[in-house]
Amino acid sequence: MSVWVVCEHRNGALREVTYELLAHGAALCMGAVTAVILAGPGEGEALAALINGKAERTLLVEDPSMSAFNGTAQALALASLAEGAQEPPKAILGAHSAAGMDWAPTLAGKLSCPAVTDAVALSMEGDSLTATRVVYGGKLQSKIKLGGAKMVIATIRPGSLEDEPKAASVETSIEATSVSLPSELGKRFIAWVEEAAGDVDISQADILVSVGRGIQDKENIDVAEALAEALGATVSCSRPVVDMNWLPKERQVGISGKTVKPKVYIALGISGAFQHATAMKDSAMIIAVNKDPKAPIFQIAHYGIVGDLFKVAPALTAAVRAAKG
Amino acid sequence: MSFNLTSEQIDIQKAAREFARGEFTKWAREADEKEYCPEVLYKQAAELGFQGIFFPEEYGGAGLGYLEFCLVIEEFWRVDPGIGQSLGSVVFGSDLLLTFGSEEQKKKYLPPITEGEAIMAAAITEADAGSDVTAVATRAVLDGDEWVINGTKMFITNGNLADYIILYCLTDPDNPSRHQRHSCIMVETDRPGFSANKIHGKMGIRASDTAELSLTDLRVPKENLIGERGEGFAQFMAFFNRTRLHIAAQGIGVAQGALDMATRHVKNRVQFGRPLAALQAVQFKIAEMATKVEASRSLLYRAASLADQGIFDHKLIAMAKWTAGETGVRVTDEALQLHGGYGYLAEYDIERFYRDAKIVELYEGTKEVEKQVIARVILGKA
Amino acid sequence: MKIAVFVKHVPDVAEADLEVAADGRTLKGAGLPFEMNEWDRFALEEAVLIKDEVGGDLTAFLIGDEAAEESLRRCLAVGADRAVRLWDEALSGANPFEIAAAMRGAVGDDNYDLILCGAQSSDYGYGMGGPLLAEALGINSVALVNKMKVEGSKVLVTRELEGGWGEEVEVNLPAVISIQTGINEPRYVSILGIKKARKKPIDVLDGAGVDLSSEGGKLVVESLQAPPLGEGAEFLEGSPEEVAERCLALLKEAGGVL
Ligand SMILES: Cc1cc2nc3c(=O)[nH]c(=O)nc-3n(C[C@H](O)[C@H](O)[C@H](O)COP(=O)(O)OP(=O)(O)OC[C@H]3O[C@@H](n4cnc5c(N)ncnc54)[C@H](O)[C@@H]3O)c2cc1C
Ligand SMILES: Cc1cc2nc3c(=O)[nH]c(=O)nc-3n(C[C@H](O)[C@H](O)[C@H](O)COP(=O)(O)OP(=O)(O)OC[C@H]3O[C@@H](n4cnc5c(N)ncnc54)[C@H](O)[C@@H]3O)c2cc1C
Repeated sequence: MSVWVVCEHRNGALREVTYELLAHGAALCMGAVTAVILAGPGEGEALAALINGKAERTLLVEDPSMSAFNGTAQALALASLAEGAQEPPKAILGAHSAAGMDWAPTLAGKLSCPAVTDAVALSMEGDSLTATRVVYGGKLQSKIKLGGAKMVIATIRPGSLEDEPKAASVETSIEATSVSLPSELGKRFIAWVEEAAGDVDISQADILVSVGRGIQDKENIDVAEALAEALGATVSCSRPVVDMNWLPKERQVGISGKTVKPKVYIALGISGAFQHATAMKDSAMIIAVNKDPKAPIFQIAHYGIVGDLFKVAPALTAAVRAAKG
Repeated sequence: MSFNLTSEQIDIQKAAREFARGEFTKWAREADEKEYCPEVLYKQAAELGFQGIFFPEEYGGAGLGYLEFCLVIEEFWRVDPGIGQSLGSVVFGSDLLLTFGSEEQKKKYLPPITEGEAIMAAAITEADAGSDVTAVATRAVLDGDEWVINGTKMFITNGNLADYIILYCLTDPDNPSRHQRHSCIMVETDRPGFSANKIHGKMGIRASDTAELSLTDLRVPKENLIGERGEGFAQFMAFFNRTRLHIAAQGIGVAQGALDMATRHVKNRVQFGRPLAALQAVQFKIAEMATKVEASRSLLYRAASLADQGIFDHKLIAMAKWTAGETGVRVTDEALQLHGGYGYLAEYDIERFYRDAKIVELYEGTKEVEKQVIARVILGKA
Repeated sequence: MKIAVFVKHVPDVAEADLEVAADGRTLKGAGLPFEMNEWDRFALEEAVLIKDEVGGDLTAFLIGDEAAEESLRRCLAVGADRAVRLWDEALSGANPFEIAAAMRGAVGDDNYDLILCGAQSSDYGYGMGGPLLAEALGINSVALVNKMKVEGSKVLVTRELEGGWGEEVEVNLPAVISIQTGINEPRYVSILGIKKARKKPIDVLDGAGVDLSSEGGKLVVESLQAPPLGEGAEFLEGSPEEVAERCLALLKEAGGVL
């Protein structure tokens, strides 16, 4: 039985999640992992070298349509590889990432095979794959069986593997191949867009006072600013705060914002969705204030305060000020 | 008999809830502290169509009923009574104009309110004429084509903000019936002789403007008389039958808001190793509060939907207003009690709700006056 | 331009205690407040903005029972011209493939130039609806869009990537675009909007006629349960002032920052 791992890369480097995927894959099929690299002409070899020793085999496709990410091209290529393979993969694994959210469901549509996205754990029982998913804002967990199909697809939440990735410690064979894609894919990459750099780099701060949707409004950011000022901290936030234009994008912690690892992270009114948590869970000390005792943030926080941030934060500000004299 | 709101009514309720939750919360504390309601909220409320919900479409309204208006007021008060009263009272007085005004008056005064261009008020109360409105002494005398008005008014909602005010005046002091001596006159506040003085230091609904008015040789055209001369008392009795519905909705809103807070608090607050909600005494309290709210709500919705069928049941409306006021006061009291010492601190919203609720038992007829009305219908003039 | 938007009615779980039904596989929905999926609000707003800009006609679709119609009325109240709801009891607890089949069935033979939907839903968060629908219709799709502009028969979109990056992509119409939050500022519902909605049609389609079976749909929910709790946080209790003092001490000791 073989498992394929779709390698995610950007600007000539493999993204961290690819290594996690290889380890996930290895655990599922006891080593027989095929790494699939879809890359632009001339890019493949360097990427393949990074895989060496971590998969049994690397399937390498270089095609002009892969020079930049194109979910349609990727799904078409994977479909044709999988359908044409001598030994078709039992499972195709990818990352639940911006790219994975695009190509994976499209591929599932093309192959008409069972698929789950955003799995936090996978297990193989006999012939079928079971995925664990976190649902309802992190409050419940569900197990989904991808029953008896020939082939299944799963994308995995980055950072969800608890163990260190196991290296397969094998010599990886590289198999270059090609796919024929239609000349007109219906969509075209135009340009990368980089967030304009702001004047504050939250990833450099020692202490972050981070606000979430619980802050309710732009005017209330003052509450966090006062605490930050007293502590000599920087204010950061979760995504909805940026979506509503209460703080600039440069302050956003999370997968689509910045990854931070301060000495202290104080979360005010943040529920702790994985897209946020992944990017701050390695902070040395996490203190969370939330009025919902069941908020997932309390799972990763070291200290939790169940209460109204509008009471707790000003009290803490006052205490810090008093302590500093 | 259907006890279900229509899907449209549910949508209106949700729209009001979403707007109030999205926009009031951030201002509530400041509005209470500084005794004002931000301009931007008046503007937004009008743009979203919350002003003049029960006005017919030809006057710029939504052509809906009292029940719909009550649903909106309830949601507004549930989030913040002070701001709720500020925005809800923009139309205060319009019921009288709608019922007794001439076509010309309605066309002139109503559309600007729905557009957020004007604010209204209605002034009856005077220092020496509260529950007894027949004691009103502000004098209006016809001089040629104009009314000349002299007097003072007390506790007038929107007194400083209103563009025009319906003034309850003594026009026929010699009429043998106490109930035929007064008339309603529309007064534009930019006329010479009008002045308003803000009353500071109210216990609750502090965001809402309240003023003392003084009228000195104030002249308005004869045509500003609303309806018939000498009919003021009857007009206001009809008016109260409508506005008491709005006020009842306030009581239910403030109670529901307090109940929401109490429910959240008892689930989270741990004492003796368990959340307060695990204690039967606390459970009973929550059950009692919730039942009071639902009972008052049922009474109001019934009275309001009858009103929308053209049936203004004096007794039922007074019952709805009285119970809603009492529910507001009792439920905020119990909710504060459940918060313990924290409830006594200004940082907790329940402290403000507790202060806000009391007004519902006072204005638009004190609870004693409501009971009088109810008893009079049942017993006659015993 | 013929525009469509798909919306879902989901439970608001932000402050709720969730309970699993006796079957061990579904959520006890009773008593929970339901509302339009957060991502769909942005998709709806974007659809209305596009309609206002380029003109055309906007149809809102929903797969759900009668109670879910509330979210469709919201669509009509903020600017959709008509609404379509498709339902069949067989769809309760449906997986993303079955939902996508139902979406395809609801669209029928109408050719839409542009179909918008949310990038994911806040309940199950599969994020598969848009791309699967596009595949079923044989048209283009782009997922996770946080900026878009229609230019003739094309649409220029920005896909959101990790770490504050984005990629600009040009897509030929017809296409399904799935929308990420923050792309716009969803408006409040107005009373006038609600009144206008009254006169707009909601077509109810019987989902019984739609073939839900597919290879892809072979997903079986085995269990739904509370997640295993890790050690979790140490909770600080007391008045805000007491808690603040504890925090202060912690910051001094362990945090080493004060
Ligand atoms: C592709 C993708 C990328 C994403 N990227 C990011 C990202 O980079 N960063 C990010 O943060 N999110 C990101 N998200 C969004 C993420 O899924 C969540 O929606 C988001 O993190 C929720 O933010 P929140 O915790 O502030 O809001 P909510 O989940 O709404 O939580 C608000 C919390 O505040 C609490 N609260 C409310 N009032 C108070 C009060 N008065 N006192 C105390 N507590 C209170 C509530 O109990 C609740 O737990 C992304 C999503 C997707 C699909
Ligand atoms: C914030 C606020 C806003 C207001 N807004 C307006 C407004 O916009 N326009 C307006 O005209 N007025 C307004 N009022 C006035 C309000 O309607 C009066 O305060 C109310 O009618 C009571 O009158 P009073 O204060 O003179 O009390 P009183 O009439 O002096 O009553 C004092 C007490 O005696 C009781 N009482 C009086 N008569 C009887 C009786 N016959 N039987 C039994 N008990 C009796 C009362 O119930 C009360 O408990 C407002 C008041 C407040 C506080």
